[in-house]
Amino acid sequence: MTSLFGIGRHQEAPVDFGLSPEAEELDQSRRNLLRGLGLAGVATAAGALGLIAYRDEAQAAVAAGASGQEHQWCRVVDLRACKGERKCVAACQTRHGLPPEQTWMRTLSWHDEAGEEFFMPVMCQMCQDPPCLNVCPVSATIKTDQGVILVDQDQCIGSRACMAACPYEARYFNWNAPAPTNKMPEQSPNTLQFPANQIGTVGKCVLCADRIPYSSDLPACVEACPRGAHFIGDLITDVAVNGQSTVRLSTFLREGNAVRFKEELGTNPRCYYIPGNGQPVGGPLEGVR
Amino acid sequence: MSSVMETSLATDGPADVIEAAMRPFRKPSKKFRAVLVVLAIVVAAAIGAYAYQLRMGMGVAGYTDSSFWAIYIADVVAIIGVSYGGAVVSAILLLAGASWRAPLVRLAEGTALVTVLVGAAFIFPHLGRPDRLVGMVIHANVASPVFWDMIAITTYTFATLVFFLLPLVPDTATLLAEHPDELGRGRRALYRFMSRGWVGSEHQRRVLHSATVIVAIVIIPLAVSVHSVLAWAFALVSRPGWHESIWAPYFVIAALYSGVALVILVAAGFRRGYHLEAFITKRHFVRLGYIMLSLGALYFYLTFADLLPSAYVGESGPTEIVYGMLFGSVAGWFWLFLVAGTILPIVLIALPWTRNIWGIVIASVLVVIAMWIKRVIMVVETSGYDRLTNSFGDLFHFTWVSIAVTLGGMAAIALLLMLLFRTLPLLSIVDVQELADSEAGPIEASATPARGSHVRAAGVAGAVILLAAAFGAIGVTSAQPARAAVATESLPIVTVTAVEAGPLNTVTAMVTLDGLPVEGVLVNFYESTTMFAPGDNQVPLGAMSTNATGAAAITYTAAVTGPRTIKATYFPVVLGDPVVGTTEFEVTEAVSLYSPTPPRLLATAGQTLALTLFGVVAIVFIILIAQVVRVRRSCGPARRA
Ligand code: SF4
Ligand code: SF4
Repeated sequence: MTSLFGIGRHQEAPVDFGLSPEAEELDQSRRNLLRGLGLAGVATAAGALGLIAYRDEAQAAVAAGASGQEHQWCRVVDLRACKGERKCVAACQTRHGLPPEQTWMRTLSWHDEAGEEFFMPVMCQMCQDPPCLNVCPVSATIKTDQGVILVDQDQCIGSRACMAACPYEARYFNWNAPAPTNKMPEQSPNTLQFPANQIGTVGKCVLCADRIPYSSDLPACVEACPRGAHFIGDLITDVAVNGQSTVRLSTFLREGNAVRFKEELGTNPRCYYIPGNGQPVGGPLEGVR
Repeated sequence: MSSVMETSLATDGPADVIEAAMRPFRKPSKKFRAVLVVLAIVVAAAIGAYAYQLRMGMGVAGYTDSSFWAIYIADVVAIIGVSYGGAVVSAILLLAGASWRAPLVRLAEGTALVTVLVGAAFIFPHLGRPDRLVGMVIHANVASPVFWDMIAITTYTFATLVFFLLPLVPDTATLLAEHPDELGRGRRALYRFMSRGWVGSEHQRRVLHSATVIVAIVIIPLAVSVHSVLAWAFALVSRPGWHESIWAPYFVIAALYSGVALVILVAAGFRRGYHLEAFITKRHFVRLGYIMLSLGALYFYLTFADLLPSAYVGESGPTEIVYGMLFGSVAGWFWLFLVAGTILPIVLIALPWTRNIWGIVIASVLVVIAMWIKRVIMVVETSGYDRLTNSFGDLFHFTWVSIAVTLGGMAAIALLLMLLFRTLPLLSIVDVQELADSEAGPIEASATPARGSHVRAAGVAGAVILLAAAFGAIGVTSAQPARAAVATESLPIVTVTAVEAGPLNTVTAMVTLDGLPVEGVLVNFYESTTMFAPGDNQVPLGAMSTNATGAAAITYTAAVTGPRTIKATYFPVVLGDPVVGTTEFEVTEAVSLYSPTPPRLLATAGQTLALTLFGVVAIVFIILIAQVVRVRRSCGPARRA
């Protein structure tokens, strides 16, 4: 669990958005971070190029409209910007009327040896090969044609097989009667995209899919982050926004050396992390909260 | 084929068997009633607790997000597990020709039936929304191990029922013929229905025997499948501690081990309650004890084999799970299981001084309890492990609700067994008589397909990869000369042009100052998008310095078609206002970088497997039903002679 690489060796490598990064150094620091996070697999193989899996996907077929859909939604979390304010968590809790112990979005935090803390928000990664969907005995978890994984609260039998299967611990169960929906700031219409929590069923991040195509409102967490760490993106039109700026998704991911969490599990998540927090990386796993 | 005979039985003779089998039908003793009442109260309390849980949610049973699977699924595994004891004592020993099993078979099969029903019932408290269970049928997901759990349990229950009922046909006929008056009205009607047309002819007996053997052959792989699929509900997820290839056989052995223990207990209980000492002797217990001992040793070995690879490699998740068992949060329970559940029982049976009925019964009690504890540990520990922080959350806390429901389940097993054998004969009269006659019937072995395995069927299908239309030659990047714009002020002017060559767009900006090109300044390019708050959303395309002719060009691949505004900006003064040039153009060809995830490697294999399994299940049902039909038809008027 100790990092192979010296801690703080790459401290001087702040990542620059628009410019081409010092690829090798960055890659090294990214690998260290990944080792720490268990983001893994891809990291070692990625070499200086980074973002292996995204590339693979991109290169496998460069044909227009390969999916026949207009949008394929994804998320990008820019870890460089996150300072652990957890405003995304709060916004999500409020919008979906969740009790405190049910955090569809949770922000992990580490301490490095210098005592500095750094953060990583984790939520449903919108896996394209979702283990949660495979194990659901009643097909209550579905994948939309735009790549969003949603749970049908009216079909869920509460077997919690999906909770067992999700490698990202992204699912939560309504063990007790949830707060009545009319207490929510915005009343839930109880759709797949904006479910009303029901006793005995499972819930998770819905990517605020009721706001699709995000033309006037972005997901609550994206809107809430004062630092613009959360991006919502569309793989087809190759654009991502964080409510403050707009980026060309592929460039942003490539230049930020984006990685996906637990790539080795074959879940093909649709959530990209841009590692590096301006802090030494590769911290010990034990410090994670 | 070995056929060891219990000669002690021969002296008792058939009449005694019938008398003994009918002992439970007499007016119940005070003790019997007292036990019945106590058990009924426990069951009623469980039902009350469950009703409370239904109202309040599973939180009252001690469940949290860090113990999302806990006591009830452990109950399902443990209780369905013990039902395998019936299969082993009855079916395996039947096929092995061990006819000493005769006085035990009815008890063993009854136990199998009752426990599988009670065990399956524990799925209800395990579910958050049992009211929607019908969804498992009307919108089932065949890729889910839980779906196959249901199929396997249903099939196995049906087979157990058939296996229990077939030998009752001649038994009930015998009882009806010999003691019709002592049966009472209800039993008489039931027995008449069950044994309709049975006269005990040679032909009927042959058919019944072969049908029983076929069901016995089918029931063994079925039991293996049930416990395997139960294990796969755990092993098919990537959680440390559960994701183990050894788990399916591990569960099967666990089921056999605890199942034999329960058969010993049930046999001991009924032997004492109805004074069956003449039929069930110490030798039966010793033989079952030996079987249990071997299974216990095997289980001990598998436990070691399960833990060693995880502990040795040192990968954080599996190691923490093993650490937790050996020294950590569940260590007390784990060592209790190991000592009381494997070592002590093995010692008790191995030592000649304790190898008596009492010793073996104590060993069985230890096994049944310790195996339940082991199941709880296995479930609770891994479910509390958080794979993001690599640490344990709060482990499961027992609450009065979950304890009451579990105890109720145990009581229900005893209660149902007592009632079952008040209704139906608790000794297999035919088997015991045959044993007494020292005749082993011809055993027809007819092979039937075994329903064995299930692998997760990966669900993703049919994503088509269209291969790339070639990116032809890189388009000409010829920049059109800037239109001579007459500048009146000394502010640079940016003019933009855009050219489309296939999906590749080249945008060029000319920066001029008073008609002269400006060299070496950085121009930023943007493309308008209709995505996310359309209107003023600009996607940066990159930056480029102007060359000697004042031109800066950038080439990019258009992701979507449609009208676009291209913007080029340049800051003549640092932190000042930018100079902006725009142009409109229509993108007619575009290539999105996106392509769908290719289907998983084994996706089609999974589908084939699911289809095959459906076929196998259908065949199993046909075989089972055919045996019932055969026996019934042999009782039809035409074939009776
Ligand atoms: S992150 Fe978990 S809940 Fe979300 S799609 Fe993947 S497996 Fe399912
Ligand atoms: S996208 Fe919506 S549901 Fe998901 S974490 Fe953000 S606020 Fe919560």
